[in-house]
Parts: sequence; structure tokens; C-alpha cells
Amino acid sequence: MPSPRSLRRQNPITLVLAGILCIGFFIFFFSGGDGALSTSGTGTAANVLSPPSLPFRKSKSNEPAPAPPVVHYHMNKLTTSRTPIANKETVLILTPLTRFYQGYWDNLLKLSYPHEYISLGFIIPKTKEGNQAYAALQAQVTKTQSGPKAKRFASITILRQDTENPLQSQNEAERHKLENQKARRAAMAKARNSLLFTTMGPTTSWILWMDADIVETPASLIQDLAAYDVPIIAPNVFQRFYNNEKKAMDIRPYDYNNWVDSPTAQAMAAKMGKDEVLFEGYNEMATYRSLMVMMYDPSADPTTKVKLDGVGGATLLVKAEVHRDGAMFPAFPFYHLIETEGFAKMAARLNWASYGLPHYLVYHYNE
Amino acid sequence: MHRHAYGNGHAAYSPSGGTFSIQPHKFQPRSQPSLRKRRQLIQRLLLVGSLFFTALFFFFPDLRPDLGSGPLSLFTSNEDPQLETVRYYDLNNVQGTARGWEREERILLCAPLRDASPHLDMFFSHLQNMTYPHNLIDLAFLVGDSKDDTLEKLTRKLEELQAHPEPKKRFGEISIMEKDFGQKVNQDVESRHGFAAQAGRRKSMAQARNWLLSAALRPTHSWVYWRDVDVETAPTTILEDLMRHNKDVIVPNVWRPLPDWLGGEQPYDLNSWQESETALALADTLDEDAVIVEGYAEYATWRPHLAYLRDPYGDPDMEMEIDGVGGVSILAKARVFRSGVHFPAFSFEKHAETEGFGKMAKRMKFSVVGLPHYTIWHLYEPSVDDLRHMEEMEKERKKKEAEEAAKKEREDKLKNTFDTPSDWKAEKAKVQDMVQQARQEAKGNEGEKAGVKLGEPVKKAVPKVGSPKKDGKVHDARG
Repeated sequence: MPSPRSLRRQNPITLVLAGILCIGFFIFFFSGGDGALSTSGTGTAANVLSPPSLPFRKSKSNEPAPAPPVVHYHMNKLTTSRTPIANKETVLILTPLTRFYQGYWDNLLKLSYPHEYISLGFIIPKTKEGNQAYAALQAQVTKTQSGPKAKRFASITILRQDTENPLQSQNEAERHKLENQKARRAAMAKARNSLLFTTMGPTTSWILWMDADIVETPASLIQDLAAYDVPIIAPNVFQRFYNNEKKAMDIRPYDYNNWVDSPTAQAMAAKMGKDEVLFEGYNEMATYRSLMVMMYDPSADPTTKVKLDGVGGATLLVKAEVHRDGAMFPAFPFYHLIETEGFAKMAARLNWASYGLPHYLVYHYNE
Repeated sequence: MHRHAYGNGHAAYSPSGGTFSIQPHKFQPRSQPSLRKRRQLIQRLLLVGSLFFTALFFFFPDLRPDLGSGPLSLFTSNEDPQLETVRYYDLNNVQGTARGWEREERILLCAPLRDASPHLDMFFSHLQNMTYPHNLIDLAFLVGDSKDDTLEKLTRKLEELQAHPEPKKRFGEISIMEKDFGQKVNQDVESRHGFAAQAGRRKSMAQARNWLLSAALRPTHSWVYWRDVDVETAPTTILEDLMRHNKDVIVPNVWRPLPDWLGGEQPYDLNSWQESETALALADTLDEDAVIVEGYAEYATWRPHLAYLRDPYGDPDMEMEIDGVGGVSILAKARVFRSGVHFPAFSFEKHAETEGFGKMAKRMKFSVVGLPHYTIWHLYEPSVDDLRHMEEMEKERKKKEAEEAAKKEREDKLKNTFDTPSDWKAEKAKVQDMVQQARQEAKGNEGEKAGVKLGEPVKKAVPKVGSPKKDGKVHDARG
């Protein structure tokens, strides 16, 4: 048939359809090429079998799964420096979660460290309370990871805990009873270790431990703490409350686990049996240790740092090599210390020092 | 191609003939030329525009509009829709059971390497022969402070392994961590096993193991298997065999073959032991940083060692509770490592590395077990003493050979200087002829007796020539 005639008979709709088809073809054609891109150790993993601290590219369902690649990780080139952003150092924020606070998540989103270098890890107990926290967290994660690109985190890992939590109630009063402390802290230590050792990838430079009830930190928290370039560093943990005497909002000390050791405490420990634990913040055990919460002075230089012997896990920035060397949270009495305090001791045995910032505050949720 | 309205049997009308028309027989108003032109212009503009934007968005993905997370997200700049950033795991599913291969439990196989290039071929043949489903085994290597081509060879071998035509023969995640710890200790046999170097060496070995594990352990792992590359012989079913016991930490017995002059075989791994009162008392006397190492006279601990309890005909399933473990081949449940047990790179209860690992696992109430009658064989690498001995043996052998050669030469010389037996015979015949002649001559003069006497010494002379050979044999036996 003569061609001018066929052109004339063509409907505008046909042309539009052809155009759309053309665009569709282009998208399909070019997106098909992306899968072939190989990965280079950091950034993105090519297979689902990869460190959880990295996002991965799903294989297309119609293709046979490719053999997992041989991946090299150049850990000699991994740095932990005082200028983490310039060196593109990745931070893994780890949180053992029993209750989900919106304040915690909002605060996390406010962190000014580039989110593309931040991976998150959560461990949630398999309890009723845990299920609620899990659902709440999942909703927020989905929202954030499909939201604006700049706010998205590199990857998020959510674990359900295997060890049974010995304490049914997470009530503040119940939780802090001395007799419950050892079992509670041991379970906590196991949860922390499980979270740490399964999510820490070969490309992780820093680990930021952040409890789920820390609801307010400076936005530049990671940069500020990293700038000290020390193995382990903890800010001072306070709590905001309504002071009835002053009729105004006020702050009070919260975390007692950051301390400098005292001769009294050492003498007490020397007299203890092998399996006994020395806890801080109980009248039954007056240790006379110098507590960092008590050192707070609003008028002092906020950059002052002190050397600590025991640390708390509420907010704690740790160089990944400290954990890699084996410093973990003992779930058993280690030099009569347990969990985060035992961690500081174990790190010290491996020649890694702990520091605290008495005048740099982060805030705990007030129940 | 001909397209007919009636293709079958109605080809009477040629396609060029205008008599048959398939145009719809209904009224179609002709559009006005100006309208048509405008419409064409719009169509062209749209086409050019869409092509332009497609090209633009393709080359500059950042310019792509954000279309939200709906079905249209396929077209947005979400990097790409295949990127997954959230992972969920339930650690209750990876506790580790006795029949892991049926429940598809993943194993992490860890091997720290250093100047291990000569052993890699052997190690990979072991890997390929393992009966545990390969796709459930993740491999992790830490290569550090190597001066040989370990890294290159390892990479090549692993890529060959993953290129296996059968997908089932390919392994799971494979990671190679490159990390130098700047160890000054030599890895050769003597400096490696000298007593003075032990504590420092074991601490840095522990460090390497911890780096490897902490970087390679995933929430999907039910088991962790530590294996040295220099294992020479091991059952191919070793993973299943150890797993069947369903213990938190389990090790086989490790021996090594020896040359015959050293007795044929020997216990190798002395780090698997049961704690003794003597050792505990000894530990109390040592300072905080001291490390007790087994197998040295300096610390007599009187501990029952797994290695010495082996009976070649014993039940391979027999278990023995132990406190310290050796690192040649450890199978442990991943939850042991998840709960924080590691290889102490400091003195933990006066022990470091794998022995400290055993101690710490015990401290956390995990079961630690050894199999005294289930043996794997470590490669025999001669020690400096052995080498010296072997050198001496070699020297002696050479000496002996030289001696023998000299003897042979002498013998040949003798053979050559004196004539060959055939010559002797000829000569003998000649001599006898002469004797005969003489006898015949003498017959007339004296009689027979003198002739016999003359013949005897000649006969004796023949065996005398052969005697050095006999002598040599005697010497041989003595040597």
C-alpha cells in the first residue's frame, strides 16, 4: 500500500502509544544494564548474602540466582579519624529496643551526619511489648526509607532476640531493683553482643550505641564525639523533668554507669566472690566512685574530657576496631563488672581507653 | 508479504488492483488542512520532547522528578527499585540443631591465612569434597602480613570455585578481609612454637580471629566452623559428624603423621584439654597478663589432653568434656559467638586465643566437648630438630652411598686388573695342559703324585679372587 495513505490514516492515539512504548523501552533497556554493575567492597552489595550494614541489589525474580561473588574488603584502608565525613567513614548505630519512642526516631532523623553513611541495627525481644515496639519501628522505617532521599539511611537491620528476657516487666522501678540487676544486665549484654557481632560489617568504622530512650542529642552528635579521636567516648546522660519547686523545666542526672574507679570500690571487689557483681548507684553498695553525672557544670568548657573506668551504654561512640579486637559486653562478672561497665574493663585489658564528656549532654526520656 | 483479505482460495484479485477495498464503508469527514498541520506539529513536539526528557533523565538521574512511592516510583530516581535497604531476621531461627543440613542451616567457615600459599591446593580440595550442601556454607578468610602470593592464589581459587557449572556446588557468601596487624613474629615452625614467642603470638592470632569473625558473622548463621588450612586428612563428612553431637562447641582430635624413624604418628594439637587442680593452682600464682600455654615444660599442668586419649579403635562418637580447645578445627554454634564469646587477645583466666575461647565458653555455661577417637590429621612440617636430624640422616645416607660406590669401584678394579673368569678358565686349561705336559714328561721320570700336588694351589687361587665381594656384603650389613 502507498505509504502516504497509511500515515494519513494513523490516529494521534497510536502515535502517543508509540511514544510511551518508546520511553518504556528506553527505561527497560537502560535499567537492565544496572544489574550488571559490579560492586566495589563498599557502598552496595551485589547479593543478598552480604553484610547487613550494606544495602543490596535484589536479583530479578525471573533470573536464576547468580553465584555470590568473591568480595574483597580492604580493612587496612578502613579509617576512624577525627574527620569522619571527609573520610567517608560509616557509622553503625545500634539500639537494643524494648519500647519505641517517637522522640528517639525523630532525634535520629535529625542527626546531621550524612545518612548515606549511617546504618542502623535494632534488636527486639520476642515479648508482647517487643511486638508492639517492632510494629511501631517497622512503620517508621518504611516511612523513612521511602521518603526523601537525604533522610534515608544506608541500611537498617532489625533482629528479633533469641535469648529470653528474664524480666517480664520493663517498668522503671522493677528494672532497677538490685536483685534483678545481674540477670537483667546479663540478658542485656547478650542482646548487645548479638546485635553487635551480626550487624558489624567489614566496612564499618564507628559504632554508636544509643539506647531507645535517648530522645534528645545535639544534631552533630557523631561529628562532635568523633572529633576527640579516642577509642571509646560517652557524653553525659541527663533527664528533663518538671521541677515543682522551681515551677519550670529542669534537668537531672540519669546514667550512673559512667564513672572513675575508687579505692573503696576496688577493695570491695577484692573481697567479693568470683561470681559477684559490683553495681553502681545503689545504697547497698556505696562505692565512692567519681560519677560523671556529678561532674556536670553548665558553665565549664563543654569540650573537657575525663578518663573513665566504667561506661554506660545509653550513648556511646566506639571505634569499630575496639569491638573487632574482641571487646564485648560480658554477660558474666568480668572483674566483678558486667555489661557496659565490663566492656570498658575488657577494652582496657586490650589497651583501649574510655573517655567521658561531663559537660556535653544528651537527654533520656522521662517516664 | 502479501496480505489478502481472503488469502485462501480468493486470490483472484491482485493486491495492486484497486477494485477490492477493505476500507470501512462509512463516512469520514476530511479534516481541514490547517487543523491537520497543527495537530501534526503538536504530535511532533510531544515526540521530540519525550525523547529529549528520556535522554536527559537517563544521562542525569538526579534530575528525575520524585513521583512518590506509589506504582510510579518505577520511573523515579530511587537509584533503582532493586535496591533493598531493610533486612529482618529472627535469631530464634538460627539456633543450630543436630541435623542442620536438613533444616538448611547456614555455616560460616572461617580461616585465618598467612603465608599459606603452599597449602591452598590441599585446602580447596578439602572444601570441594565436603558433603555439607555447599550453598549453605559461607566462606570468610582473613589474609594478613603475607609475603607470598596467598591473596592472589586464594582469589583465583575462589573464583574457580564459584564458576562451577553446577549451581549446587557453588558456595554462599565469600569474603576476603585484608588486614595486616604488623606482626613481627615469624610464621616458620620453630619461631611459631618456641615457648617465649607463644604468648605474644597467640594474642595476635586471637586478634586476627576476632577481626575475621566480627566482620563475617551474619544474622543468618547457625554455625561457625574454624578450620586451619594445613589439615592434611579429614573426613569429608566432618561438618555433619561434628554437628550431629549438637554441642555448643566441639572439636575432633588432631594428630599428625610422622616419618617412620619418628614413630609414624604423633598427637598434634595439645590445646584441647580438661582443667586440672595443678593448673588452677598454677594460674593463681601467675600475674594478670601471664598466659599458660600447653605442651611446654615451663608450665607442667598435668592436664588430661584430648590428643593423648586417642584409641585408634575407640568409638569415634565418644565425647569428653574439655575446658581449653585447639583451633585446628572447631565447630561452634553461632549463638556462642553472638552471645559474646570470642578469642581473648588478652589473658583471660590466664589463657589466650582458642584456649581462652574454651574457657570463656565454659564461663558462659556453654557445652565444650572434644572427640578423643575421631581424628583428623594435620600436615607434618618438620621442625628444626627434625630437619637437622633428617640432614644427618641424609648425610649418612650419602656417606653410605659414597662408600658403596667406592667399594663397587674397587671391585670393578679388581675384576678388571685380574682377568675375567673366562680368561681364568682358558688360563686354567692352559695351566692344566702345561701340567699334563709336565706330568707326561715326569711320568717317565717320577710318577703321578707330584702332579696332583701341583694342581691344588691353582684351584684355590680362583675363589680367592672373588673373596672381596663377599667381604663387602658383610660390611654392608654392618653399616
